[in-house]
Amino acid sequence: MLKKKYTLLIDSKRCINCKACIVACRAENNVPLGHSRLWINEEHRGEWPKISSNFEPEQCHHCESPSCVRVCPTGASYKRPDGVVLINAKECVGCRYCIVACPYNARFAREDLGIPEKCTYCAHRLEHGEPPACVETCPTKVRIFGDANDPNSLVAEMLNTRQYRVHKPETGNGPRIFYLR
Amino acid sequence: MERIEWGLLIVNYLYLGGLSAGVFFVSGLATYLKQNDGTGDSRIARYGAMIAPWPVSIGCIILIFDLGNWQRFYKLFLHFRIESPMSIGSWLLLLFSVVTLINFYAWLPEQKRNVAFLRLSKRIRSAERFNIDLSSWRRPLAAVGFPLSLGVGIYTGVLLGAVQARPFWNTNLVAQLFLFSALSTGCALLLVFLSLNRKSLEDSQIRFLYTLDICFIIVELFIALPYVIHGELSVKAVQDSLQLIMGGSYTLAFWVFFLGMGLLVPLALEVWEMLPVLRTKSPLKHNKLLTASAAFLILIGGYLLRYIFVYAGQKSAF
Repeated sequence: MLKKKYTLLIDSKRCINCKACIVACRAENNVPLGHSRLWINEEHRGEWPKISSNFEPEQCHHCESPSCVRVCPTGASYKRPDGVVLINAKECVGCRYCIVACPYNARFAREDLGIPEKCTYCAHRLEHGEPPACVETCPTKVRIFGDANDPNSLVAEMLNTRQYRVHKPETGNGPRIFYLR
Repeated sequence: MERIEWGLLIVNYLYLGGLSAGVFFVSGLATYLKQNDGTGDSRIARYGAMIAPWPVSIGCIILIFDLGNWQRFYKLFLHFRIESPMSIGSWLLLLFSVVTLINFYAWLPEQKRNVAFLRLSKRIRSAERFNIDLSSWRRPLAAVGFPLSLGVGIYTGVLLGAVQARPFWNTNLVAQLFLFSALSTGCALLLVFLSLNRKSLEDSQIRFLYTLDICFIIVELFIALPYVIHGELSVKAVQDSLQLIMGGSYTLAFWVFFLGMGLLVPLALEVWEMLPVLRTKSPLKHNKLLTASAAFLILIGGYLLRYIFVYAGQKSAF
């Protein structure tokens, strides 16, 4: 059997910018106020009445070849075989190179702890077979999460049948959040 | 990035690391090119050896205190990651600092060394055992130090250049620019110390430092300008990031204060002082004030270069 490959799909047409994902993440992971592990990009076009608004949630892309992991001098930033990019706080010296090196600005410095922080796909929940908090809480089902290597999963089906794009592929990081068209 | 993660402390550290590298490199060259009669440039070599360990040491202390978890800094030396410029740099810095310290000891005048050890041995009895003459190590130390100093000098730029997420940095020209700026500021610091000293500067010393510095500054110019040209001809993200110095908030600092006051003006001053030597073989008409001003301008320009790149780079993004 293939190893797991956790993957997040985002159907941004469904997003209504309610920010429940941000709140759920903050509650689940004790994210301090003033910082957020995820955010929602807003795009507004046109003039009334011919207008459109688009919302696109974003967070750590858990890249295929993450630059944060590459530049880390101690190996504190690492990528698990199941695709999740994590930070081993005990090894981190707090140089913040990873924060500077992330093309998505997905990391921020926890001033109180002296280490960077970012989305972990709620790795502690994955252990129990539960989806990340943002995925579970999203009221309009924007987020589809699962194992891309499991052919019976919804993400695998979506990746095979739907068109999608990724953010800033030109940076060469191989981002792994797929935005459905 | 909206927030600046690497601030003034990092600017200082990159500057001081480069400064030491430059001082060591120039002083090492002087060691090798020393005339046989024992005079010549041995004063530059000695000054360089005396100065070189301190900027890099201060820089390392600053770097450690800039860490979010400074008490874990030793973990940098429990790992070696060839992919991470910072890991390579940490090791380079460590080796370079050790070499500069040994070199400092090897260049200590015998008299001063004896006095120091006499005082020390009153407190620690076994200290006298370490009072050894290392003056024969000077040339080998310079040889070992050359690649290390060049490594430290270039690494400060590679640290930034290796970040593909920041288009303002992501070219190897940044590494070259930082290296030659480091060498030039090293020359300048030696010029400052030599011209502030009551002893008069000898013709050969000033010619040695000026010749080197003029070369370094010219190379720097021919890296800085291609950096801009290359960037303007590059992909859109790079072009956009160059706006920071082509009309954006760092334009004045880059063109007027770094390129103008920090490179062209001191270059003009140095060339002007060297002209009599270049045109005819007449002796140099040397003016201490002019030398010191040129050197100070180079030192400030070098600092500005780091400042502009560290800050503007973090503001650039794809």
